[in-house]
Amino acid sequence: METRKQGTTLFTAIAVLIGILVVIQLWLVAAALEALLSGNRGALLPAAVASFVLLGVNAGLLLYIVRFDERIRRLDEPPDE
Amino acid sequence: MKERGERPRWREDFPIGWEQDHYVTRRELAKFLTLGSALLAGASALIAFAGRLWKPERRRRVRIASASAVPPGGSLLFRFPTDEDPCILLRAPEGSFEAYSQVCTHLSCAVVYRPEDATLACPCHKGVFTCSEGRPIAGPPTRRLPRIVLDVRGDDVFATGVEL
Repeated sequence: METRKQGTTLFTAIAVLIGILVVIQLWLVAAALEALLSGNRGALLPAAVASFVLLGVNAGLLLYIVRFDERIRRLDEPPDE
Repeated sequence: MKERGERPRWREDFPIGWEQDHYVTRRELAKFLTLGSALLAGASALIAFAGRLWKPERRRRVRIASASAVPPGGSLLFRFPTDEDPCILLRAPEGSFEAYSQVCTHLSCAVVYRPEDATLACPCHKGVFTCSEGRPIAGPPTRRLPRIVLDVRGDDVFATGVEL
């Protein structure tokens, strides 16, 4: 059964995971910028595609925790009489 | 006076419990991080777009020296592609020419030619580059020197481009 405590743990884990993915995206932006300035344009499109894939994963995780939160809130509400 | 069972006054100002506050903060953090992720993805797309728009520089052909003016084992300083880009032309003891940017890729000191061991040395922090490829082989530099593309025609040496 989903409890608020489980939710707290899950939220922490997902927030950490999203944070790690954002750091990877930051690295991709830095690498792409360096590639652009050094004239190595072949790396730019893969970097952008990878960044959008990571964005998709992050958005999916966010959507998951928002839905999880809604479920938890529904469980916390007193049952209708 | 506070009656028994009544909520304390401070609770009206701070109605969210400690645990609930953490719960909300983590969700907000996840939203904030995802927004940052979207911004970074946008930045990557912009960089890729800029790469498509950025047209390669048209190759100029600049005469930099006559071959006979540089003896084997000698070097000559010149500027290419602009007057603010110092470069060094090297002539190996066997007679072949190479040219590189004179700006050290560590902290931009000027490199000098050492024909005795066929290297380019940076006197500031003891960085050493090979003369054959411009690769760093000692000291703090990690990136190779930009190579100047040469075209030797008769007695004339031309610079035609820069390989980063």
